[in-house]
Amino acid sequence: MPLPRLGHPNLGLGVGLRTVHFPHLLQHQPDVDWFEIISENFMDSQGRPRAVLEQLAERYPIVMHGVSMSIGSTDPLDQIYLRKLKALADAVRAQWVSDHICWTGVASRNSHDLLPLPYTEQTLRHVVERVRTVQEILERPLVLENPSSYVTFAASTMPEWEFVARLADEADCGLLLDVNNVFVSSVNHDFDPIEYLDAIPAERVVQFHLAGHTNLGTHLIDTHDGHVIDPVWELYRHAHHRTGGAATLLEWDAKIPPFPVVHAEVLKARDYMTAALTLPTSRESESSAPEVTVGRVAAVVPHPASIVLAEVE
Amino acid sequence: MSIPSPDLDALQRWMQSVIVHAGGVHQGIVSADAQAEIPLPVEQIDIVINPSTSQSSLERLAVYSNAYKARLLEVLISEYPALVHAVGEEAFVGLAGSYLEEHPSRSYTLADLGRAFPAFLAASRPPSQTEDGSPDWADFLIDLAHLERLYSEVFDGPGTEGQPTLQTDDLLRLSSEEWLTARLIPAPCLRLAEYRFPVHDYATAVRHDQDPPFPAAQITRLAITRRAYMVRRVAMEAREFGALSALANGLTVGDALQRVLADRSVTIDDLANDVRTWFRNWAVAVYFVGVQ
Repeated sequence: MPLPRLGHPNLGLGVGLRTVHFPHLLQHQPDVDWFEIISENFMDSQGRPRAVLEQLAERYPIVMHGVSMSIGSTDPLDQIYLRKLKALADAVRAQWVSDHICWTGVASRNSHDLLPLPYTEQTLRHVVERVRTVQEILERPLVLENPSSYVTFAASTMPEWEFVARLADEADCGLLLDVNNVFVSSVNHDFDPIEYLDAIPAERVVQFHLAGHTNLGTHLIDTHDGHVIDPVWELYRHAHHRTGGAATLLEWDAKIPPFPVVHAEVLKARDYMTAALTLPTSRESESSAPEVTVGRVAAVVPHPASIVLAEVE
Repeated sequence: MSIPSPDLDALQRWMQSVIVHAGGVHQGIVSADAQAEIPLPVEQIDIVINPSTSQSSLERLAVYSNAYKARLLEVLISEYPALVHAVGEEAFVGLAGSYLEEHPSRSYTLADLGRAFPAFLAASRPPSQTEDGSPDWADFLIDLAHLERLYSEVFDGPGTEGQPTLQTDDLLRLSSEEWLTARLIPAPCLRLAEYRFPVHDYATAVRHDQDPPFPAAQITRLAITRRAYMVRRVAMEAREFGALSALANGLTVGDALQRVLADRSVTIDDLANDVRTWFRNWAVAVYFVGVQ
């Protein structure tokens, strides 16, 4: 039986590190429990992003979260990428390294999207073997996140929650349980999110993700561009009590507000850690994400779309 | 019709072919690449992709198709703001779409996505619109794209922060003979570029939310580098740029200055004055990190 959180500490309430917040963080050094970085934005950086990260790593615990491992792809694992990932993890003393249960491309292409897998025995064997290989290279357990998805495959022979649970147990890896993703996919694929959460091996949950999403009426998209809605907070409360708590992080990747707004959003999680349900008094959260008009659909881009932009004098 | 369950590799190759197809998912499904993996008429897509209660299988696949294009366009629009301003967003989307067709991402990082965009623009430019061959609108766009990509590479590439750099005192310690045979080590972030338009002024105006007009052609020589993690660019006149380029390319100080003197309008006295000013400015700008 694995230790709770696979032995990792509960880091508390963290925020995704984004370059637009660098000046605020360096000037104010806010009282944040920890930061999560997008690994690919820092692993090759030899400029300001890397310098700021190293400064912050002196003061705050850092967790690495990747979007390009493509653990489910049938392409060979990218050994150069994995070596760079390990070097960055060592350099910033990362608490753990995570990525997504997905594939991002095949035939040497990268769509830069988190594409869904068919949940079959063949896929499970394939991904388990690759997770084991990655863990040997990284010399640490990998932590994998359930993605939001917008299609399901007729070929699937098991629900996502069974796939995730069996993958974690058979590959002996950790889980990053994205509660918003569970909610988004539950609406898109008509399943009960509580059934999903209850099937996840609680002791393997190392971290939670929270985020806002966009409601397009016929489906939800994981856009990370707003407040966490009440039903997602409710799922978080349920997951928190099932697992005994784990490091919790808010992702805000589009229309990013000032840092204090982002930080305040994740601090709302405290209200859901108590046994009795107490809704936050600040009612910035919503019972559901407002439906956007069709005209906006073309501009709705699911996470991830993250790039470091040059600063020129 | 029924098909056997496709294996994982075939399913991934099929889905990728469908969602990255420039014509959308319908054309993607009937494309040769997709049909080679899963031979399937569009009307039987439900055999592979389940519909939901509120969306058809095609609509669900289109979420990924739309996201693929929108995400990558967003990255290019972010990296080339001045170019977007110059051509307008609609035309930029057309250019970027063609570029992505020809140069799909094969990298784990989006930072590489726009690397070949300036070369793509140069290779696909329309014939010159000027009778005398003078620079035209297309040349302006190509130069502008080149500069914006340089900014990205200099910003996040190797730099000199925290490293020893060349100071004027280091040069003053050299004997006359050592001085003439010295080779200077350029900063790893130094880039020297010659453009047909003052694209640096245009790019800066756009970054300051101004609305600059299409500038007149003017040979523009820029030294682009990074200091204190900020990209800096300096416009130079021909002689200084020539000397700096020669030194950055590994010529000795003596040979680099000899090149400048090849211009018969330059006197030794002029050059002596210039050299003092140049080296003082270059040390402040951190164009060099040492002497060989």
